[in-house]
Amino acid sequence: MYGFEMMSFNIKDGFLEAIVRGHRTGLLTVADYNNLAQCETLDDIKLNLTSTDYSQYLANEASPIYTATIVEKCTQKLVNDWNYMRSQADETLATFMDYCTYGHMIDNVVLIVTGTLHERDVQELLDKCHPLGMFDSIATLAVAQNMRELYRLVLVDTPLAPYFSENLTHEDLDEMNIEIMRNTLYKAYLDDFAAYCRKLGGTTAEIMGDLLAFETDRRALNITLNSIGTELTREDRKKLYSNFGLLYPHGHNELAMAEDFDQIRSAMEKVPAYSGIFSKLGYGESQMLDKLLYEEEVKKCVDCYEQQFHYGVFYAYMKMREQEIRNIMWISECVAQDQKGRISDGIVYLF
Amino acid sequence: MAQPSVVSQDGMLLAVLADEDTITGFLLAGVGNVDLRKKKNYLVVDSKTSPRAIEAAFKEFTSRDDIAVILISQQVAGQIRHIIEAHNKPIPAVLEIPSKDCPYDPSQDSLLTRVKHIAGFN
Amino acid sequence: MSTQNRLPVVPTVTVLTMMKARLVGATKGHALLKKKADALTMRFRQLLKEIIDAKENLGSTMKGSFFAYTEAQYAAGDNIKHTIMDNVDTAVVKVRGDLDNVAGVKIPKFESFVLPGETKMDLTGLGRGGQQLQSCRKAYLSAVELLVQLANLQTAFLTLDEALKVTNRRVNALENVVKPKLENTISYIKAELDELEREEFFRLKKVQKNKQKRTAADMAQAAQIAEAAAANGGDLQLPPFPGPGVQPPASSSLLYNKEDDLLF
Repeated sequence: MYGFEMMSFNIKDGFLEAIVRGHRTGLLTVADYNNLAQCETLDDIKLNLTSTDYSQYLANEASPIYTATIVEKCTQKLVNDWNYMRSQADETLATFMDYCTYGHMIDNVVLIVTGTLHERDVQELLDKCHPLGMFDSIATLAVAQNMRELYRLVLVDTPLAPYFSENLTHEDLDEMNIEIMRNTLYKAYLDDFAAYCRKLGGTTAEIMGDLLAFETDRRALNITLNSIGTELTREDRKKLYSNFGLLYPHGHNELAMAEDFDQIRSAMEKVPAYSGIFSKLGYGESQMLDKLLYEEEVKKCVDCYEQQFHYGVFYAYMKMREQEIRNIMWISECVAQDQKGRISDGIVYLF
Repeated sequence: MAQPSVVSQDGMLLAVLADEDTITGFLLAGVGNVDLRKKKNYLVVDSKTSPRAIEAAFKEFTSRDDIAVILISQQVAGQIRHIIEAHNKPIPAVLEIPSKDCPYDPSQDSLLTRVKHIAGFN
Repeated sequence: MSTQNRLPVVPTVTVLTMMKARLVGATKGHALLKKKADALTMRFRQLLKEIIDAKENLGSTMKGSFFAYTEAQYAAGDNIKHTIMDNVDTAVVKVRGDLDNVAGVKIPKFESFVLPGETKMDLTGLGRGGQQLQSCRKAYLSAVELLVQLANLQTAFLTLDEALKVTNRRVNALENVVKPKLENTISYIKAELDELEREEFFRLKKVQKNKQKRTAADMAQAAQIAEAAAANGGDLQLPPFPGPGVQPPASSSLLYNKEDDLLF
């Protein structure tokens, strides 16, 4: 059934798949993390990182070095890799890669929208944007004088236009809570991304369906968990859940009704894939959940490298790099704040 | 005797001068205040902020009568040490706090050294 | 006794009583101020200890808060700080002021409180990391509480320090300047008064002596006159009347005059 891909995939995408698999081997291993965890100062960390793929990004940094700098440089590495691959990509893969970055783009647009609301400086706002979510005309957004204008600019200039036009009106930009807006957009984005992957078909659809289902279920879980005790109503909550994923639709109904962590838990445990995660958690404790979910995500990402001839590897590479940057940040912060005992609490080993 | 100024009853603000990460935490707790004229009660200090700007912000905070406490990170305080030492009014109280990137160093604190000096244990 | 260290007063009895009253007042004031200074010092010492404890505590509390923030950042992504920054609206954590009274010194007292009600921050991190953000928020709230407490101590410290200085200055001024001055003035006045009294006594003595001298002279004169009259022989001659109140000389009595035709 996947035979077609084997015949034609490498014609267009073989080179990039080779590249991305090459990048994958550049990710830090358990041994690297162990070395990093032994560091006493941030300079030691820098020194350790210079023996990895990050070397050219960190080598010229003057000490005293800060966590923010390390994170920034590591992100730069991901961005450079990504942009290189993006510029080489064939049409379908390019679209796919764009989809991968829409998540950051949503964050950036929301940032600009709130920034404009508070009349922040444009340049300052652009500096804060995530580099992966940049698009050519992002700067023009900030010139908007009022919300109606901004709304129009978003529709004209951003790739996110369909998400905006279908879900929000220009009044919403002004009145809606910014987090609800962000999550509404994100929901629309995930739905769209999933639809695109289904359209691509083949192994990509299979792998990405799995990854995105996890992503959307995690979001649903988080939204539920974080909206307990806030003014967000059940209906509002339900509106933010995506229309696919393992929890859709019955799990969503249960989540929407949930009022505390244990109710969420019972809703989640009905799905076999997630009951394993929750069985690791004691009753009533929800603090470790994030890390467990990150671990699960990484596992899925690693797994998708087992198959060939699909686009999921690119998405997985991005996710894994991001997790790696989070790990590095965590280690650096632990070292900088003299909390070395906590280092192991935050690292998600990739391999 | 310096008569303390009248303390208003409807609540006064805390002002913060520190690096971005430290401030973010305080803002998250709900310390931040932006009034109608977009005047903030905090200043994000990074490597690009000049001591002059810090000085101006500090002076502005001390002259505002709705600010009761000024929190200033030790790193920032070090840059305008002379102004802080010159500030001797009880309100607003100037407090030196540690910043995220460098742990708290009690020996740097001008007030604490004075306290210890008076208390006589070093 | 030095003449400089006293008040420029006229040494009279009235002034003396006045000075004495002032000295009593100064002594009483000194005692009271001394008591106040002692009370302040006691509170001050207590404060010093509390400040040192709180400051040292601060380090670890802030460390906990920072780490909570790191956890939040880990869970919610690096971009979360911009979201937080943009969500700032009006402060929900404020400081209430009050006045505390220590031995008559008014010390401003702060107390932090959180305005009730929903905040925009409640939904921050809805998509991910919301829980960590909330726990970070709690950590920072407790840090703010501690900081405000510390601000309290610090303000009290500064105010008390100032008050203590003033009070001590007053105590010392009373003890070392005002009281000695008054005492000096009093003893000066006393000395002056004694001096005056001695002078007066001397003068009286002198007057008396003069008087006696004059009486003696008068007597001598009278004796002379009487003698002269006796020498003039049996003349019934009264000595000239010296004036009222002066007895005629005894010799002028009729009893001493002999008359030939006296029958009995």
